[in-house]
Amino acid sequence: MDVTKNMELVNLNFLSDTERDLILHVLQRDEDLRKVEEKRIRRLRNELLDIRRKGAKRGSQRYSERACARCKNNMGRIAPKANTCRSCNHLVCKECRVDTTGGGWKCNVCSKEADLKKSTGDWFYDQRVNRFANRLGRDMVRMSLRQKPSANKRETTAQALLEFSQQLNEPKTRKAQRSPQQQHKSSGSPDLRDQKSDTESTEQMSLSSYKTDSKKSSPSTSRRNSLEKSATLQDAKRAQGPVGANVATLTVPVRSRDRHQSDSEGEALLGSRSAGSADESDTLFKKNPRRLLKPADYSKSVLDLRPEPAAPEENALGDRSKSVPRLNIEMEEEDEDIDNLVEIHRLSAGRSSLRSGASSSTLGSMISIYSEAGDFGNVIITGEIIFSINYDAKVQLLNILVKECRNLAYGDELKMRSNPYIKSYLLPDKSRQGKRKTTIKRNTTNPMYNEVLKYIVPESMLHLRSLELSVWHYDRFGRNTFLGQVDIPLDSWNFDSLIEECLPLHGKGNMDSGAGFYNSKGELVVSLKYVPPTKPSGSERRKKKADEGGELHVWIKEAKNLTAVKTGGISDSFVKGYLFPHKNKNTKRKTPVVKKTLNPHYNHTFVYNGIKPEDLQNVCLELTVWDREPLSSNDFLGGVRLGIGNGMSNGELVDWMDSTGEELSLWQKMRQYPGSWAEGTLQLRPSMAKQK
Amino acid sequence: MTDGDYDYLIKLLALGDSGVGKTTFLYRYTDNKFNPKFITTVGIDFREKRVIYSNAGPGGTHGKTFKVHLQLWDTAGQERFRSLTTAFFRDAMGFLLMFDLTSQQSFLNVRNWMSQLQANAYCENPDIVLIGNKADLSDQREVNERQAKELADKYGIPYFETSAASGQDVEKSVDTLLDLIMKRMEQCVDKTQVPDAVNGGTSGKLDEAKPEGRKCAC
Repeated sequence: MDVTKNMELVNLNFLSDTERDLILHVLQRDEDLRKVEEKRIRRLRNELLDIRRKGAKRGSQRYSERACARCKNNMGRIAPKANTCRSCNHLVCKECRVDTTGGGWKCNVCSKEADLKKSTGDWFYDQRVNRFANRLGRDMVRMSLRQKPSANKRETTAQALLEFSQQLNEPKTRKAQRSPQQQHKSSGSPDLRDQKSDTESTEQMSLSSYKTDSKKSSPSTSRRNSLEKSATLQDAKRAQGPVGANVATLTVPVRSRDRHQSDSEGEALLGSRSAGSADESDTLFKKNPRRLLKPADYSKSVLDLRPEPAAPEENALGDRSKSVPRLNIEMEEEDEDIDNLVEIHRLSAGRSSLRSGASSSTLGSMISIYSEAGDFGNVIITGEIIFSINYDAKVQLLNILVKECRNLAYGDELKMRSNPYIKSYLLPDKSRQGKRKTTIKRNTTNPMYNEVLKYIVPESMLHLRSLELSVWHYDRFGRNTFLGQVDIPLDSWNFDSLIEECLPLHGKGNMDSGAGFYNSKGELVVSLKYVPPTKPSGSERRKKKADEGGELHVWIKEAKNLTAVKTGGISDSFVKGYLFPHKNKNTKRKTPVVKKTLNPHYNHTFVYNGIKPEDLQNVCLELTVWDREPLSSNDFLGGVRLGIGNGMSNGELVDWMDSTGEELSLWQKMRQYPGSWAEGTLQLRPSMAKQK
Repeated sequence: MTDGDYDYLIKLLALGDSGVGKTTFLYRYTDNKFNPKFITTVGIDFREKRVIYSNAGPGGTHGKTFKVHLQLWDTAGQERFRSLTTAFFRDAMGFLLMFDLTSQQSFLNVRNWMSQLQANAYCENPDIVLIGNKADLSDQREVNERQAKELADKYGIPYFETSAASGQDVEKSVDTLLDLIMKRMEQCVDKTQVPDAVNGGTSGKLDEAKPEGRKCAC
């Protein structure tokens, strides 16, 4: 967003000390007000979540045609038109309606959503984001190398300035930090992590800690300066909750790289994080010490996986997008609804593993969907899983009691170790909301779980579902390793028998051939055009300087046969684009959301500027289709990547340059005929993980 | 001071030349007091006020009432703070654009402030009221009402002549702005149609020269 711009613009150096103090005082008051506001917003969002959970809007459940979509009571014989909510197209009974000012009505969920949009100020922030995002989008390729982590949509100038001025205030204290060894010691302590007793997924934990952490670090890098001096201030900031967090989370891996260059400034920065954990004045973090430590671990794992960037002094963002391409995806995806997600996370942290589809979105699962690319086939799958399934038709609850596994393979063959956990999906839903996990058992190949994974599914839908139980080795420093899975089609399942099943684990391959779920994600119709740069004429030369290079036009026409993820067999979809290698705000483009259809016509064009003809063999256009889920996380519906598909970009091996077939030929067609549209119908990939 | 017991937090911002009376205006509005002394504002400041907004239903039916917490940003008119103050424009939902009825120059500068707003506010046509302040000093008046009204009409914004000294129309002007914002908010949320068939929406090029429509752009 625009905050960084503002910060460059607003240099407080011209102020006298007294003036600066005065202004800081004002900013501090604003901070207080903002804290109150955040608290209020959190409360409001929770209220909505409550209503949503009760309602049936979400999920792929089907109800009797005459049932109210909210309370599920049968409405009898009524005129469908007069009883359909204008906003969500659901039949809604009289009790579940709220009159609107215009004389009409909305169902209680839609009404609450609208209320929330107003009372949280989202109507305003959303507009603002649009405006400044567009402006920033101009020179995206070049700028992305220079840009600092952008802030979340609610961040205000006052907030940015406050942080910025703290940085200005105390530039000298930056280095006086804890030694790197100390940092390592504290951040690497396994004990702290093992204290984790809830069933939260570790991925989720690490990601949420990301956010917690980033809040502290974004966007000015030296918040810690003021740690000692104004501990109260810092408390205030953190206590303000998830809002300060956001895309800035992406800096974490970069920082940990810094840590390895001892005596660099990064060390001091990192120190701030550890110092934070030790700082008694920091109430928020005291409550949750392990969260704080997580990011360090996580970034370590990133480091292990990826080559160190060649030029360490390269600007943070540049190598950020290079070294952690995967990560950016997920973090980016969360940015709009980050507050909600954190909310949801907080809610769910305190609960058992029972989650209704509406409320539980775990940040982590996206990671694992993507990360599933990594570690298949490295392990020879052995062993079996013992579990039982029952279904309670009264509450539409599917219980999977995961008992134990036997003779698992070693996830870490070097150390002869496995830290296994079980993950489940109720296919075809592979979204985050559909994921459940057991806890992680340490260092065993015969883990005992006795944990119940629960899904709410209407009976009528059960036979369409298939349960996938996969076993994963949790690796703190690297990617999790796939240890095998079983697939259980529920159409033929005898739910009455309470017999424990013992099934041998098998590899991923079986699944693809088995269920046809994955092959039909639908198609995307796109037209591409490359407009080469025009020769700068004399008078135009200056202007051209800022705008050199050609333009890549991406005309998103329509999608066909998308997966339905909402009630009534519909989706509210939109397409998001990124232009690799820069997977960040600047290359992010979105179409408007087209509601309630599986065959949406987007008819929307993305334009990327500053693309030289030779860039076309180094960039890759990723288009992903998402189901918009306001106030929760969006669901991934499929995607494509358009590029030359040779696995290389700018001389480096990259896994996203993986286009094949129609994707590849469309890209080539576009390159071949600059200035004219090349159209293609592309099969959507079920996952953006590396193709095998 | 604030307890979070309100329905909406609405952020307004007062802008205009130095000495037109932004600070005293806000002081009158929030505390209903008048401070005749001129103390130049250092950069930025803000005041708060809790008001009750009643949403007049259509056709005069009784509307709901809401508790609105107003955060009223006060900006320094001085040029040297300009970069700082304009940076705050983006965070406000509505603007009190003020000039001094006894200063022709401050009125002429309204045009500049408008373009500053259009460039830096959250959208190109934010809600604004034009305020000619110091209406009590009728003997020193340099800007006549017709002139100011015409300018306001040109921008399609309401115009008020106020006096922080007497309190004339101070409340009314802020209430009007609040009403505009609340209406826009409803509009933003109410739109149910899907904006499709838009070609080239995310081109990354901002259309600078847009006519001032009063339509919500969200």
